[in-house]
Amino acid sequence: MSGKRAGLAERRRFNRLIGDLRQELYSYSLWLCRDPHLADDVLQEALLRAWRGFAGLDDDNRARQWMVTIVRREFLRAREKRRDEATDPLDLQQLADPGEDPMVTELRQAIFRLDDNYREPLMLQVLMGYSAEEIGQVMDMKPGAVLTRLHRAREKLKTMFVEGDEAAAEQD
Amino acid sequence: MGKPDPTDRAERARIAADAAAFEALLARAAQLPRQAPATRRPRGHRHWVQFGLAASLVLATALWFGLREPASLPEAVIAHVHHEPEALAPARNPVNGADLEQVLRQAGAEFVRPVGTVTYVKLCPFRGEMVAHFVVQGRRGPVTVLLLPEENISTPAPIREDGFVGTLVPLEIGGSIAVVGEPEESLETIRDALVAALRWRV
Repeated sequence: MSGKRAGLAERRRFNRLIGDLRQELYSYSLWLCRDPHLADDVLQEALLRAWRGFAGLDDDNRARQWMVTIVRREFLRAREKRRDEATDPLDLQQLADPGEDPMVTELRQAIFRLDDNYREPLMLQVLMGYSAEEIGQVMDMKPGAVLTRLHRAREKLKTMFVEGDEAAAEQD
Repeated sequence: MGKPDPTDRAERARIAADAAAFEALLARAAQLPRQAPATRRPRGHRHWVQFGLAASLVLATALWFGLREPASLPEAVIAHVHHEPEALAPARNPVNGADLEQVLRQAGAEFVRPVGTVTYVKLCPFRGEMVAHFVVQGRRGPVTVLLLPEENISTPAPIREDGFVGTLVPLEIGGSIAVVGEPEESLETIRDALVAALRWRV
C-alpha cells in the first residue's frame, strides 16, 4: 500500500471513529467551557491533536474515551492560558431551543452554575453514560470519590432548582 | 435563576423528590442544542488561542467542518459541481492519461477499459473523503462524474438540482458513482461505460 493510500485509509478510519462522536464531544466541550465559542475552539484543537496522534490509537473501541481525554486536556490547557483574561459571559440564549420546556432550560442553567468539580463528573455520567470507574479514569479520582461528587452535584442541583442559587450556596 | 417563582415551586419540589422524574429532566437538560455556535466572536477576542502554524488552523478547521452534518448526497454532488465551475469549460482538451490514472489511483480506483474523452480530472475532498472528480464529454456537453467508494446506496437515485440532471448509481462492487449533466443529455451511455470500467483498488 502506498503512503498516500495508507494516509487515505487512516483518514477514513479517523472519520469513521470520530465523526459519529462530533456532537457528543461538542456538548461535552461546552459543558466544560460554558462558552460556545471557546467550546468550539477547544474541540477544533482537540480534533487536530487527535489527528496528529491518531496512529497511536491501536484499539478502535477506545476511541470515545481517548477523545474525551483529549478534549478535557485541551480545555484545561485553554483555561490555563486564559487565566488572566476576562471570561465570556455565558450566552444562555444560544443554549435554549425555541419551544423548549422552561424547566429544562432552567435546570440547564443551574448545571452551568455548578462548580467545575461537580458539573464535569455529572455530565460525564448523564451525557456520556460513563460509570464511576470510567469517570475516575478521566478525572484521576477513585470511584468512591466520584460517587460522592455525583451525589453532592445532584443535591446542589435540586436545591438550586427548587430554592434558588442562594439556598444552594448555603450548602457549601 | 435567582429565586424561582413561588407558584411553581411545588411542582419543582415534586420533580426533585421523584428520582425518575428528576433524572429524566436532567437527561433532557444535558442535551444541548445540536448546532455549534452560528456566530463567531468579534475579531481580536481570541487572545488565548494561538494555534501556532497557519497550517494547523487550516487542518483543524477542515477536520471540524468535515465532520459536520452533511447535506443530502444529491445536494452535495451539485454543490461540488458548483464549487469547480472551471471543470465544465466547453473548450477543454483531453487530459493526459497518466494524470487520470494517478488521480484514480489516489482515489482508490482504476478503469479497466476506456470511458470516453476525459477533459478534467482532480482529486477532491467530498463529504470527508478524497474522491476522483472528472468530466467526460457527452453529446450535449460536459458530464461530471464523481467516484464515491464510501457512499453506499441501495437503489439508483435521480439528481435534479439547479438545472442539472443526473443519477446516483449503486455499484455491485460497493460504493456508488454520481453522473451529472445538462438536461436531455444521454447519461445512460456514459453511466454504463463507467460501471463496466470501474474497479476499486484494494
